[in-house]
Amino acid sequence: MTPQAIQNTTGTVFNIQKYSVHDGPGIRTVVFLKGCPLSCHWCSNPESQSFAPQLAYNANKCITLSQCVRCGEICTAGAITRGEDDTVAIDWEACTKCLACTGACPAGALITYGTTETVADVIDQVEKDASFYARSGGGLTLGGGEPLAQPTFALALLKESKRRYIKTAMETCGHVDREALLTACRSLNMLMFDIKCMDTSRHKAFTGVGNETILANLTAVVEAFPKLPIRVRTPVIPGFNDTPEEIQAIVDFLKRLPVEYELLPYHRLGSQKYTSIGRDYPLGDISLDNDKFLALREISKQIGIAKK
Amino acid sequence: MSCCVSPHEQRLLDKIEGKEDIYRASHPRVFKILETFDGMRPIIDVERAQYFTESMKETEGEMLCLRWAKALKHIAENITVYIDEDNLICGRGGVKGRYGLLYPELDGDFLGVAIEDLPNRTESPFSISEADARIVVEDIAPYWKGKTYHEALNAAFPKEVHKLSYDDPEGLNSRFIVNETSSFRSSIQWVHDYEKILKRGFGGIKKEAQEKLDALDPLSPIDNVEKKPFLDAIVIVCDAIITWARRHAVLARHEAETCTDAVRKAELLKMADVCERVPEHPARTFHEAVQSQWFTQMFSRIEQKTGTIVSNGRMDQYLYPYYKAEIEAGTLNDDEALELLECLWVGMAQFIDLYVSPTGGAFNEGYAHWEAVTIGGQTPEGRDATNELTYLFMKSKREFPLHYPDLAARIHSRSPERYLAEVAETIKDGSGFPKLINDEEVVPLYVSKGATFEEAYDYAVSGCTEARMPNRDTYTSGGAYINFVAAFEMVLNNGKMLKHGDEELGVKTGDPREFKTWEEFWDAYEKQHTLFLKTAFHQQYVINNLRARHFAQPMGSAMHDLCMKHCLDLHTPQIPEGINMGYFEHMGLGTLVDSLAAVKKLVFEEKKLTMDEVIGACTCNFEGKEDVRQLLMTAPCYGNDDAYADDIACKVDSLNVLFGQKYAKELGMHNDIRYVPFTSHVPFGKVVGATPNGRYAWTALSDGSSASHGADKTGPTSVLLSNYNSKNYGHRDRAARMLNLKFTPKCLEGEEGTDKMIAFIRTFCDLKLWHVQFNVINKSTLIAAQKDPEKYRSLIVRIAGYSAYFVDLSPDLQNDLIARTEHEAM
Ligand code: SF4
Ligand code: SF4
Repeated sequence: MTPQAIQNTTGTVFNIQKYSVHDGPGIRTVVFLKGCPLSCHWCSNPESQSFAPQLAYNANKCITLSQCVRCGEICTAGAITRGEDDTVAIDWEACTKCLACTGACPAGALITYGTTETVADVIDQVEKDASFYARSGGGLTLGGGEPLAQPTFALALLKESKRRYIKTAMETCGHVDREALLTACRSLNMLMFDIKCMDTSRHKAFTGVGNETILANLTAVVEAFPKLPIRVRTPVIPGFNDTPEEIQAIVDFLKRLPVEYELLPYHRLGSQKYTSIGRDYPLGDISLDNDKFLALREISKQIGIAKK
Repeated sequence: MSCCVSPHEQRLLDKIEGKEDIYRASHPRVFKILETFDGMRPIIDVERAQYFTESMKETEGEMLCLRWAKALKHIAENITVYIDEDNLICGRGGVKGRYGLLYPELDGDFLGVAIEDLPNRTESPFSISEADARIVVEDIAPYWKGKTYHEALNAAFPKEVHKLSYDDPEGLNSRFIVNETSSFRSSIQWVHDYEKILKRGFGGIKKEAQEKLDALDPLSPIDNVEKKPFLDAIVIVCDAIITWARRHAVLARHEAETCTDAVRKAELLKMADVCERVPEHPARTFHEAVQSQWFTQMFSRIEQKTGTIVSNGRMDQYLYPYYKAEIEAGTLNDDEALELLECLWVGMAQFIDLYVSPTGGAFNEGYAHWEAVTIGGQTPEGRDATNELTYLFMKSKREFPLHYPDLAARIHSRSPERYLAEVAETIKDGSGFPKLINDEEVVPLYVSKGATFEEAYDYAVSGCTEARMPNRDTYTSGGAYINFVAAFEMVLNNGKMLKHGDEELGVKTGDPREFKTWEEFWDAYEKQHTLFLKTAFHQQYVINNLRARHFAQPMGSAMHDLCMKHCLDLHTPQIPEGINMGYFEHMGLGTLVDSLAAVKKLVFEEKKLTMDEVIGACTCNFEGKEDVRQLLMTAPCYGNDDAYADDIACKVDSLNVLFGQKYAKELGMHNDIRYVPFTSHVPFGKVVGATPNGRYAWTALSDGSSASHGADKTGPTSVLLSNYNSKNYGHRDRAARMLNLKFTPKCLEGEEGTDKMIAFIRTFCDLKLWHVQFNVINKSTLIAAQKDPEKYRSLIVRIAGYSAYFVDLSPDLQNDLIARTEHEAM
């Protein structure tokens, strides 16, 4: 592809987060791409799962129907109804996802998750913080969703970053096309790779897919790019993989690979977002015991450095 | 798993639980002293004003500088001297505990009202005894009636200038439109050449003055009429401070006689020896150096109202030789050195800057202190200047978190990694220290204004964010604070303001509903803006000519090379070879830019609102117009590295820069744009109605060069970049810019957090921004402290170039701090 073609490639982005300091080295900008092949029950970015732009509604921001009826006037599907405290309630069944209301809402209560952007626009945004990357060793991190679920766009973003000498990292769930993954690694300075569970049937039950592709992909990357820094991460989810046996199994798998390993504690910060897109939070009201997590982290320390 | 509170917050929580402070055991002396005044309401001490007035009555008609010196001598001979229990350093200007002094020569016309008002004021209250109140009302105030600087200024302002300056004919209350600050205090951000005193002593300066006197041409009119009284004043003022110091020696010896505690007795005898030696003679030991510095500093506070902004200068540089020699000789260790410095800090903490005018009080909430200690930076030769003492100052800040003195860390492109790491760790401690000042901006700028590289490299931080070159700067007047958000409001209302109804205040720029284009709107804004600039410069012209007739500072002059060389008092408007660096202040940059951007975008470009709707919504304070408010708030805002808003900010800045470039010459000074509001963005906000950036009527404006509250949505890197984007680097007519950032402790957690903070600071340096300061605190802590002030009495927060006890602040300012955007790492 010519540089021009790369810059004109488009894809769907649902957020660009600057001053990110927990996703790779240095001060970074995370570009979140929309769409994911998995549907993990604990997902903290449920708005990232579907590929198409999507409606979200936050009642806290609605300034009430008595002050503003813009959305009601514009919606032809009758999906805007009166909810609690005079704010809007969306009838998700009736909503046709036309997104007309999000353009009309002055308060940011109705918004669209996901916009179509060109590579040039996205990387222009990312490049703005270049002086911070230079000093901190930071750069671009692609996240999602699953970045490689939009392979052409993701690869173009990485290529364009390289062309502008911006360091790159990527977070992946691993359930992606092998070729795309290996191509991406050529433009990466670091890869963050999730391994969630070694038992494929449990994996399928909680994420919607088995783990065979994922494990094979990690092995393939390590073989093809022995020098690429890889940080494997496991989100520790109560009732899914929060036992010593589960973590030990992953550790055993990783032992022969030159990777870092990190456990991420479960949090329910995303649960609000489910409501905003008209879904129920699949995990309900669970929480992770801190002592339990610390014990699991001890196990994880058999592999490389785990931060925190 | 994760840190949620800063060390400073943790210590507060410990205190609430009744646990002992973790550093108390290693700093017993100063903790004990601190407990005697922590959180206490300050007392007004009238002795300084009383003796000053007595002497001034006797010397009418003589040269002002000489009168001032005689008054200081009279004070030095008569004012009560104190030796504080447990303290190793002595010298105070008033009663034990937290105290403030009166300076009737400045704004004594407020005194009558103030004495009744001060105890009940919301912002920074003071107490006074009935007997002292009577002295003020009966003996002091009457003499000064008709003689104060403030009255003269009020009378001297032309009518159009007065109208935008004061609310009332007497000029007691500011209009907070174009606000003069020259009557708040006798000097602007200043720094004395303490090194000179440590090396030569006031005895040495006295000798120099005497030699000069002897060399005068006995027939020359200038030598006899101008120079002789000046030099006489220098001799007298040197004698005054020496007398005052010796009285401390006598008292210490006297107290030693009756002291039954052998340890304290030895301390008192040592103090007596030190006070006999300094500041008359050069210091020989670290203790003598610290005591000499403190006598000098304290006596300069007695000399004139310094507004607590006479800074400590580059302490890690001028104290270093004494420290190093004693460490090498084994006569001093780090703990002892720290203890002496901390004895100085508690002395500073007890001197409170008393603003008698209500305007002054509102400007400087929380008993503002700015006696910045400068650390780090470069040597006059441009090499890195950090040394072991630099690190000791930071250690003191972390372990003994008193909010005085302010700590200012100079940053340059080759600042060592250890220095930046300790700076980052100290910031993470959470009490707001140190603030950072950038050599890469200050040094070239000062060279362009006429300094040599050596002088520019040797600058000291002073005031909230200023930089001074002790023997080259000669300018002393505070500048105008200009409320440009009021100028914006005048565009919406054809030259009027909501608060002042039908009064014609600004330019009649026409009904904005008739404006067809953004350019028309901008033209109207520029006209109002220019009127304010013109008013500010006219004020300054009057002020510059008036001040030398009301103020003199023989002691400050004694320490200044140029004053001694030319035999001129430091308040002289023009001193040969001096660089006059004044400023004027831009209030509410963020509020203004966001409002301009909202009008440009929503009215002229997207046409989603009419001008009539915008004006209507602002006039009714958005009541029933929340939808309009929300729409307006969709416009781009300053602080997000968004060119739409930042270009407007740059254009606004260039109006200021270009005006200064053209007209400052006529004032005989650099009159440069500055963005440093202290706490005044709160009172300035109180005169402006609702604004199209969604700000409600009468609430705070944005502060300094920071973004409006909550408007910076894309994180701290964007805040820095917006600041960068809005500067006119091609022109030298700019001064300090203050930038506040608030982080949660979580996002700076651990070693990784420190590393990222270092990188952040290095980038700040690369961007050539002037200043940045951090609050590392959880919002929940601030809210808890507001609800339960008793428990959170020792919570220190960074406000505006200085830190203060949170509970000392007015509710308005507390809310303002809570509302500042908190940066969380995602
Ligand atoms: S997205 Fe749904 S709610 Fe919104 S206008 Fe379309 S149909 Fe109505
Ligand atoms: S347009 Fe937005 S603010 Fe207005 S009623 Fe609908 S959701 Fe609420």
